[in-house]
Amino acid sequence: MQAEKRVEHEYIHSLVESVKYGDREAFMGITRLYQRKVFLLAYSYFYNKEDALDIVQETFLRFYQKAHMFKKGKNFQNWLLQIAKNICIDYYRKHHSKGNEWGRKENIEDVHLPSHNQGHSHSSSDLREIISRCLEKLSERQRMIFVMKHYNQLQYNEIAQILNIASGTVKSLHFKAVRNLRTLMSPYMGRIG
Amino acid sequence: MKDCKKIGKNMVAFLYGELGESEKDRLVSHIESCAACRNELEQLKKIYKGAEVLNEDIERAMATIDWESLPARIADAVVKKEIPMDRKSRRTGFWQVLFQPGFRPVYAGILLGVVLGSLVTFLIFRSQPFQSPENGRIIVPKGFYDMMELEMARRGTIDYLDKSEYLLLDFVQSSPERSAEYWRSDLASQRARDLLSKKTYIDQQLDKLQLAKAKAICDQIELLFFELMQTSEQLSAEELRKIQNLVEERQLLLKIKLVKKELEKSEV
Repeated sequence: MQAEKRVEHEYIHSLVESVKYGDREAFMGITRLYQRKVFLLAYSYFYNKEDALDIVQETFLRFYQKAHMFKKGKNFQNWLLQIAKNICIDYYRKHHSKGNEWGRKENIEDVHLPSHNQGHSHSSSDLREIISRCLEKLSERQRMIFVMKHYNQLQYNEIAQILNIASGTVKSLHFKAVRNLRTLMSPYMGRIG
Repeated sequence: MKDCKKIGKNMVAFLYGELGESEKDRLVSHIESCAACRNELEQLKKIYKGAEVLNEDIERAMATIDWESLPARIADAVVKKEIPMDRKSRRTGFWQVLFQPGFRPVYAGILLGVVLGSLVTFLIFRSQPFQSPENGRIIVPKGFYDMMELEMARRGTIDYLDKSEYLLLDFVQSSPERSAEYWRSDLASQRARDLLSKKTYIDQQLDKLQLAKAKAICDQIELLFFELMQTSEQLSAEELRKIQNLVEERQLLLKIKLVKKELEKSEV
């Protein structure tokens, strides 16, 4: 297992080295390996296929540009996801948010979900709407951590590397994100069940 | 209540299957007995399951993408947009700026300055070797010794006056019979002798410096103690009472207090 990982690691490093010299095939190889992971991060952040595809393209373009800055011995996936995360945040601020600040919290009353008939179980599209809206109400950092943990299934230490913060902070922010989601979703709990 | 708080902190880790066996068992057994925590966990489970709904979305969206052709499309975009490669990392860029050929005359000038400066310093110190001060000699500012002496005299005098004051108070306030007895005892003679020897020590300083008032009063005290020590054995109670009255008439204690205050104020 360890040996397999090392081989994989060396293979990726050799591809990155080739990309530095403008090797198209190597660039496509890297893209092929990581495009799904970047898409997953972007899609779970925006819930929009077109936005996510834009992020994927932008991430690999940025990788091509910055390939020389990647240092040997570093985890490539974490480095690439760090680029993707930065692009996601920039993209969100540019296209979706109006003055949304890092760490802003909003009141539960501010969640405007579509009205539904009481007593009827909700369809999965309604549930999707509720969850995506509630996730959007989390602070940028909490949302990013929740998405990375829940959808990308990254470990706390991997998220810590990507966000460049302590692993303990990631853990506590993830805990807060789940708690805040619970608070935000509590008025709709009856319908979810 | 304390348990609930602890369990609450572990609930998220429990949902993600990250709890150790012992903590997991503790949580499960607590949940069985605590309705509030059970309810809390149920709600968190709903959120966890609810968030899973989005996974289906993600899978559906991913299924519609042509992953095979995407890398080629992105590679084409690199060519089309003429993305330039950052060939230099920040660090190499900095070093390259630092050592670019244009800066060479500057570095040569700095090097020449250092060499010339060292040479001149060496020549100066060779012709005038650095003289170390003589062993044990400390250079102090002018007037420092005088100031030190005055301060020592002042403190010595205050101490002398303090002790004299107590001795005089004992003398004035006790009855002539007890006073005579007291002065005959070893204790009084020891205290008076101490004070007299202290006086001979501070005498030199009082003479030298301008502490005339203090000197006058110290002289009077000295004379009084000296006489008392010498003659106390022959003195009658009547004569001692007279001396006590004399001390009171001359307001010796008041004078001591005033001089002491003056000395304390004039701290150097």
